[in-house]
Amino acid sequence: MTDEKKKRAISRLKTMYPLRALIDGMYEQAVEASKDGKPVAWCMVNWWGGDVILRTMDVAAVYPEDYSAVCAAFGAAPAYLARSDSDGFPTHMCGYARNCLGYAAQMKDLGEIPPEAPMGGMPKPTLLLSSGFFCDTRYKWFQALGRYLDAPLWVLEMPHPGVKESRMEGVREHNINFLVEELREFIAFLEHLLGKKMDWDRLEEIVDDTIEMNRVWHQVNELRKARPCPMHSRDFWSSMPASLYMAADPKVTTDLYQKMYDEVKYMVDNHIGAIPEEKYRLAFAELPPWHSLGFFNQLAERGWNFVVESWAYHPPKPIDLSKVSNPLERIANLTYQYFSGYFEDAFKVGDWWGYFAHPYLEFVKEYQCDGIFLHPLLTCRTATNHLLVVQDQLMRKLKVPSLVVEGDIVDLKLFDPADALRKAETFEETMSHYRTVRKEMGLAW
Amino acid sequence: MTEAGSQGLSRVKEIYQDRSHRVKALKAEGKQVIGYYDIYPVLEMLTALDLVPYRLLGDMSEPITKADTCLPTVVCPFIRSVMDLGLKGKYDFLDGVVMAHACEVAEKTAHIWRIYLTPAYAHFIDTPHTTHAAAQKQHKELLKDFKKTLESFTGKELSAERLEQAIRVHNQQRTLVRELYELRKPDPPLVSGVETLQVMVALTSLPVEEGNELLRQVISEVKQRKDGPSLRPARLLIWGSVIDNIALIDMIENIGANVVMDDTSVGSRAYFSQVELTEDPLDGLAYRYLVELKAPRTFRETVLSETGKKDYMTDLENRFGYLGDYAKEWNVNGIILQAMRYCDIHGYEVPGLKDYLGNIGLPNIYLEHDYSEAALAPLRTRVQAFLEVIG
Repeated sequence: MTDEKKKRAISRLKTMYPLRALIDGMYEQAVEASKDGKPVAWCMVNWWGGDVILRTMDVAAVYPEDYSAVCAAFGAAPAYLARSDSDGFPTHMCGYARNCLGYAAQMKDLGEIPPEAPMGGMPKPTLLLSSGFFCDTRYKWFQALGRYLDAPLWVLEMPHPGVKESRMEGVREHNINFLVEELREFIAFLEHLLGKKMDWDRLEEIVDDTIEMNRVWHQVNELRKARPCPMHSRDFWSSMPASLYMAADPKVTTDLYQKMYDEVKYMVDNHIGAIPEEKYRLAFAELPPWHSLGFFNQLAERGWNFVVESWAYHPPKPIDLSKVSNPLERIANLTYQYFSGYFEDAFKVGDWWGYFAHPYLEFVKEYQCDGIFLHPLLTCRTATNHLLVVQDQLMRKLKVPSLVVEGDIVDLKLFDPADALRKAETFEETMSHYRTVRKEMGLAW
Repeated sequence: MTEAGSQGLSRVKEIYQDRSHRVKALKAEGKQVIGYYDIYPVLEMLTALDLVPYRLLGDMSEPITKADTCLPTVVCPFIRSVMDLGLKGKYDFLDGVVMAHACEVAEKTAHIWRIYLTPAYAHFIDTPHTTHAAAQKQHKELLKDFKKTLESFTGKELSAERLEQAIRVHNQQRTLVRELYELRKPDPPLVSGVETLQVMVALTSLPVEEGNELLRQVISEVKQRKDGPSLRPARLLIWGSVIDNIALIDMIENIGANVVMDDTSVGSRAYFSQVELTEDPLDGLAYRYLVELKAPRTFRETVLSETGKKDYMTDLENRFGYLGDYAKEWNVNGIILQAMRYCDIHGYEVPGLKDYLGNIGLPNIYLEHDYSEAALAPLRTRVQAFLEVIG
């Protein structure tokens, strides 16, 4: 099979490319900002609260989580991983973190961006913005960077209520207050660090644009419920960082998502799928093997269309925030909606893992998936913890089977595409079998 | 009150070997037993309502077979073991569980426990990650939520008076544990690392007042006995992930060292800070359980220099200075850093902690293990080599 054929197996959306370019541009802009003496932050994905504040305060942001995926895709990761390992960080830890620690170590040794760094590299930061969201790595990693960087670190908190606890009287209110107060403390930290004041009018505008950006992005993904699905997961993964990492002015991003909506809507209206013949519709959990994305072309040739992905990377369900006057409360509500948006559905059916796990049940039903591709990441607890529960619940409740293929987001040694393809071939029979079972149960697909 | 029969260290050994024996007897008498995970659930609130707190621990000698259905192999083997025991029915005597956001996997396991074990009572305390002012306020709100579900479960009011009384009794236990640890300061120590761990495990298996009585007996016995540990050149501090089984410490002590201090969660970490009695008892509890408990899962701010920069060594001193103090007070000449594979919060600390210990001239070694007795054997050679280095 030639590379050219592989590329044609999935029709990529034209409107995806400018969105991907926003991310690529983020690194160049940060390097330029650094050269001009402007502040630069290394950030964890923080689900918009910290991003809008940084943008308002004119801090250029780069996201080492994304950058590690870039390093993986460009083949630069192995050297950084090796450096992290030799500095004593345990090898079972997050591939993104180990890549970044190795990168920072190299940068410290050289006193500048390592020359081999892809996309121009990440410049030395003025500050680090970490997040307590989801995984311990996302603040312990940045704390560990203190070995190589003298940038101050702020950890932004995020409440993680249980489904039952979230329904108790007053819980939503104190969680939102917590988020808002956290953002206020972060603003005070930034004002002190940068010696400038927050422009509240500008913040208000950026917050509203961010809410709109996520609304449009959600609408794009709603269109993917169509048969055949017009947008493959590869386009989702290329487009999601624009929202997740706030790569540009959210007005610009919204405009690009709107163009994507138009393109996808056209395809839906004209029954155009992302692959030539959609035989199987699949969900993908969690992050893909960034170093081996060509693998999906081979599956596409077999009629596998990936129509939905992890809840974690999707925008929140739309929420009406027009009556919330304070911009910090608005963005806090958006973040909280992202986290707890499926809790009500989960509570109704007594499913106590309202984020990560339960949304798959909703997605698989709504997007009518024949199967789910579970990709346990051998160095990531967060993306792996819930997969067995998901596998079990999907089979017990919806008779949807799972294909489990272990791998890693950065370390290509941990993913074997040939073995995965062999497993995929036999999985087709399993998917076909459960189609019949679901039909007998009276399920809709 | 303890059961008739053995006392002191003999009683400790009995409890260590059959942890649930006493609480099952109490349950037969009509008491309710609540399981808890790690050191973040606020135990005073259970004690105040006459609930017996019982810590969820694993079993290194029991192969994990059932947990493979709901917890993948790339997560903390200790938590997998705890879940495995739950799925095998070994925690069926519990009337409920309270879990906290002790770490990421613990947080997720709280949800998994609810799904697969359907406890009659379950509450999750979403302990914040930082000590920010907002986080402290949030933590108090979370304790108010916990209070509500406990009151609903027991049908009793959790009054300030009951809570204050419980705080006093738990503080008394903390004082007694300190007293026990003081007995590890002489050379040779009056109580071994193995014995201390057995006491700590026993305390997690008894109502707090019974634990206090047991501690008094142990302290008295240890002070009087003549056959304590012998003099050895190495006096070690052991740091890291939870240790709830004597196998590792036994191996270390059997090859020529005295383990005289620890910084683990079934050890000093759980006991070395008191709860201040505040006008609203929840204030003192919220502060102690978030700010005073020192563990890598809680992020502590760094004091920045005048230029707004972070100084690495100052940061390390903020985070690990207490270990330097322990080393001085307990006259430690070597530190064993140990973490379970897949324990991220401890794993990220290792290079920084080694930098700190190197800076204050304390020899150290890092051991990684799989929470399995069989997997400890290869570590023996490394520990032997380390002991040779420190003389």
